[in-house]
Amino acid sequence: MGKGMESLDKAYGILLIGILIVLAVFVVLCLIRAVIGPRIADRILAANMMGTMVSVMIAILAFLLGEGYLVDICMIYAMISFLAVIVLTKVYMGVYAEKKQRDETLTDGQDVSENSRLGQESPGEEELQYDRV
Amino acid sequence: MTVFEWVRFLAGAALLLSGLAIFLIEMIGVFRFKYVLNRMHAAAMGDTLGIGLCFLGLIVMWGFCFTSLKLFLVIAFLWFSSPVSSHLIARLEVTTNEDQKKHFDIEALDEKLPESGGKEEL
Repeated sequence: MGKGMESLDKAYGILLIGILIVLAVFVVLCLIRAVIGPRIADRILAANMMGTMVSVMIAILAFLLGEGYLVDICMIYAMISFLAVIVLTKVYMGVYAEKKQRDETLTDGQDVSENSRLGQESPGEEELQYDRV
Repeated sequence: MTVFEWVRFLAGAALLLSGLAIFLIEMIGVFRFKYVLNRMHAAAMGDTLGIGLCFLGLIVMWGFCFTSLKLFLVIAFLWFSSPVSSHLIARLEVTTNEDQKKHFDIEALDEKLPESGGKEEL
C-alpha cells in the first residue's frame, strides 16, 4: 500500500513536470510568433495565447505544490490578459485613426494647416473620433 | 483505495494530455496559416477547448472542493472573454488593413438589403 502511493506520487510528478516543460516550449514558440508576426494583430494574438498558456502553467504549479490559493492568481492572470488585449486593440486603433487624420490634413494643401491647428485646439473632436473607432 | 487513486490519476492525465494536444494543434495552426484572420481560429480553439480540457483534468485530479470551483470559474470566464477578444482583434485588423482586397472581402450591410442589392445584381 505505501509503495503504491509512492509510485503514484512519482507518476504525478513526472506527468506534471513533463506537461510544464512542453507548455514552456509552447510559450517560447508564441514569443517567436509575436516577434515575427507581420501585423500588429498577430502580436496581440500571440500575447493572448501566451496569457492562456501561462495561466494553465500556474494552475498546474498550484496542483504540484498543493497550494489552493495559487488558483486565484491564475484567475487574476486570465482577467489581466483579457484586459491587455482590450487596451492594446483600443490604443492601436486610436493611434491608427490619429495617423490617418494627420496624413489627410498633410496631403490636402496649405490652407488645411489652419484646420489642423484648429483640430489641435479642440481635443473634443478627436476624442469623439477615437471613441467611434 | 489505491485503485481509485490510480483511476483518478489516469483520467486526469488523459484530460490534461488531450488539452496539451489541443495546444499543439493550436501552435501548428498559428505557424502554418498565412494571415491573421485565419490564425485567429486556431488561437481561439486553444483559448476555449485547450484550457477547458486542461482545467477539467486538474479538477478531476483535485477532487471536488473550493479550489476546483475556482478552476471552473476560470473556464467560465474564458468562455466569455475569448470571443470578445477575438472580435476586437478582428476589428483591429479590418480597421488598420491598407489593402483589404488582397486578403478579404467586406460586404457592407446596405448591399444585402433587397432594394439596393437587387438592383446591382440586375
